Amino acid sequence: MARTIHIDPITRLEGHGKITIFLDDAGEVKDTYFQIPELRGFERFVVGRPIEELPRIVTRICGVCPASHHMASAKAVDGCFGNECPPLAHKLRDMYYHAHYIHSHIAHFYALAAPDFVCGPDAEPATRNILGVVAKVGLEIGGSVLAARAMAQEIQSILGGRTTHLVWCLPGGVSKGLTPEELEKIKPMVAKLYDFTQFSLQLFRDVVLGNPAYVELILKGPYTLDVHNMGLVDADNAPNFYDGKVRVVDFEGREICKYAPHEYSMYIAEHVEPWTYLKFPFLKQRGWKGFVEGIDSSIYCATPLSRLNVADRMATPRAQEAFEEMFSTLGGRPCKALMAAHWARLVEMVQNAEMLQKHCADPEITGTRYRVVPQRITGEGVGIVEAMRGTLTHHYTCDDEGICTSANLIVGTTNNNAPIHMVTKKVAKSLIGPGKEPDQGILNRIEMAFRAFDPCYSCATHSLPGQMPLEVEIVQGGQPVRTIRRGC
Amino acid sequence: MSAQTVILGMGNPILTDDAVGVRLARDLHRRFGDPPGVRWLEECSVGGLNLMDVLADCDRALVFDSIRTRDALPGAWHRFTAGDLRETMNLRNVHDANFATALALGRLAGLRLPADAEIHIFAVEIVDNLTFGERMTEGMEARYPALLSEIGEEAARILGVAKQ
Repeated sequence: MARTIHIDPITRLEGHGKITIFLDDAGEVKDTYFQIPELRGFERFVVGRPIEELPRIVTRICGVCPASHHMASAKAVDGCFGNECPPLAHKLRDMYYHAHYIHSHIAHFYALAAPDFVCGPDAEPATRNILGVVAKVGLEIGGSVLAARAMAQEIQSILGGRTTHLVWCLPGGVSKGLTPEELEKIKPMVAKLYDFTQFSLQLFRDVVLGNPAYVELILKGPYTLDVHNMGLVDADNAPNFYDGKVRVVDFEGREICKYAPHEYSMYIAEHVEPWTYLKFPFLKQRGWKGFVEGIDSSIYCATPLSRLNVADRMATPRAQEAFEEMFSTLGGRPCKALMAAHWARLVEMVQNAEMLQKHCADPEITGTRYRVVPQRITGEGVGIVEAMRGTLTHHYTCDDEGICTSANLIVGTTNNNAPIHMVTKKVAKSLIGPGKEPDQGILNRIEMAFRAFDPCYSCATHSLPGQMPLEVEIVQGGQPVRTIRRGC
Repeated sequence: MSAQTVILGMGNPILTDDAVGVRLARDLHRRFGDPPGVRWLEECSVGGLNLMDVLADCDRALVFDSIRTRDALPGAWHRFTAGDLRETMNLRNVHDANFATALALGRLAGLRLPADAEIHIFAVEIVDNLTFGERMTEGMEARYPALLSEIGEEAARILGVAKQ
C-alpha cells in the first residue's frame, strides 16, 4: 500500500521569530517581546587559534554576508599585525566589496522588497515573491535580475577567487592582485551593472513613487521611529562601505559623535535583557535609557537608510543625484520612515557601480604591491565595515605569538535589535486593541517592518515561500488567548 | 552537452551537527573519487538564488543536508526530491528568494537547471545546530559511520558507481 510520510521540521517552530504581545485588561497592547534564536559561542570558539586564521573562520558565521565578516575580520587582523596593508590592497578589497554590495542589494530588492510594492502588501503570500514581480512587470526583468547578479558574482570571483568562504584577504593585504586581462573582463560587466542600477531606480519611480498609496505607506503609519542613525563615512562624510569613521547623527540631523574603529568601545555599549540571547547596543555616553524614542534616546538604527541619513553627500555624481531625489521626495534628511531603506539600497547601488567604474579607471589597480608580509605583532585590532544590513565591528586581541586571546563582534542586525523590538510594538499597538481583532494581516504588516531592516539572525531563521516564519502569541491576564502562526 | 551532476554538502562545518552534510560530501568524495561528469562542492552554505547559481548547467544534483523533525531520532535520515521539498534547514534563508522560487525563476529565464525529480536530497536528523564546535554531538558522532554507509549506498546507486 502506498504510504505518505509528512516531514514536519521542528525548526519551523524553533528557528522562527516569535513575538509575544501582552494585552492589558482593556485589550490594549501593553508590551511586546520579539525573540529569535541566535548561534552560540563564536567569540569563545576562536580564542586560542592563530589570529591570521580568523578571516577564514568568520565566513562560516553566516552564509548571508560572509564577505562582510571576511573584510571586517581582515581589517581587525591587520590591526593585530601593525596595520601594514598597502594602499592597493585596500583598493582591491573595496572594489570586491562594491560588487558584493550590488549582488546582495539586487537579491534583497527584487526578491524581498519589490514583491510588497509591485504585487502589493495585501497580495496573496503565494504570489508575493519575485515570480509575482516577474508576472507583473514582464519576464525580461527576471532575466535582467539574474544577469546582473551573475555579473556581480563574476566580478567577485575574478577578484577574490571565490564568492563564499573567501580566503583572499591575508594579514597585510590580499593573496592575489588583478591582472590587466582580468580588468578587461570586468570593465564591460561594470558598465552593464551601472545601467542596471539606473533601470532599478526607474522601476522604483514607476511602480512605487507612481502609486500614492505606496508613498503614503512609506511615509506614514507606524513604520517610523524617532531614534538616531549610524553609518560609516569617509573624510567628506560620504558613505563608505569598507573604511572610514563611524558617524552617529540624531533624527533631527545633528551629529552626536564620530569615532575611529579603535574607539568603538568608548561610544557603544551593549544592554542585556533576560528574555533574549541577542544584546541591545546603545550609545554608551548617553547610557541605557530603555526602549524609548526621542531626542535623548540612546538607541540608533544602522540600516541603508541610516547610512544615507548620516551622510552629507554621496561619494559619486549619479549617486548624489539619486540621493537628492530621494530626500527631496521624502521631505528632507534625515528621514525617519523605515521603509525608505528599500529606496536607500538602490541609491547605494548607484554609488557601488560608480565606484567600480572608478576603480576600473585607476591605473594602479593592476599593480603588484597588493601585500606586504607583516613584520610585527602589535596585539590588538578593530575592523569596521558596513555590512549590507548594518555596521559590523570585529575586535580582536592576540598574544605575542599571534594567538587569539579575545574576540568581540557587534554584527549589523544586533545594532538594529532595539529598533526592531520597538517598531514591532508600534505596529502591534496600531493594529490591535479593543474591538480590533488580530488576524493574519498583523503578520503581513509586522513582516514588512522586519524586511526594511533585512535582519540577519545568524541564519538561524528559515523561511517559507515569500515569508519569514512567524508566530504571534497574544497574552492577556497571564494566559495565552490566541496564537497566530504563519509558515510554522 | 554532456550530462552533469553536482554533489553538494550543505551546512556549516563548525556548527556542531550542522556539519553532517559537509562531512558526508567530503567522505563520499573520497570514497567515490571523481566519476566523469560529476562535480563536488563539499561545503556549500548558500540558499535561494545563490543555490540556483550552483545548480546552473547541471542535469542532476545530490544534496546532503540536515533537518530537525518532531520526535525524530538523531541520525535517522530521509530521502526526497525537490518536488517534495517544503522546507529544510539550509536550503532557504530570509534574505533571498526561497529555493523553489529561485528554481522557478531560473527556469522562466531559460537557465539549464535540473528537473525537480533529479534534485535528490538526503536530510539527516540532527540535535544541535546553534552551537559552534568542530565535532558533532556524541550521539551523532557514534551514528555517523553507519550513516555514511547507508547514505553512501543510496548515493552510489543514483550515481551508478560501484560500492567501495
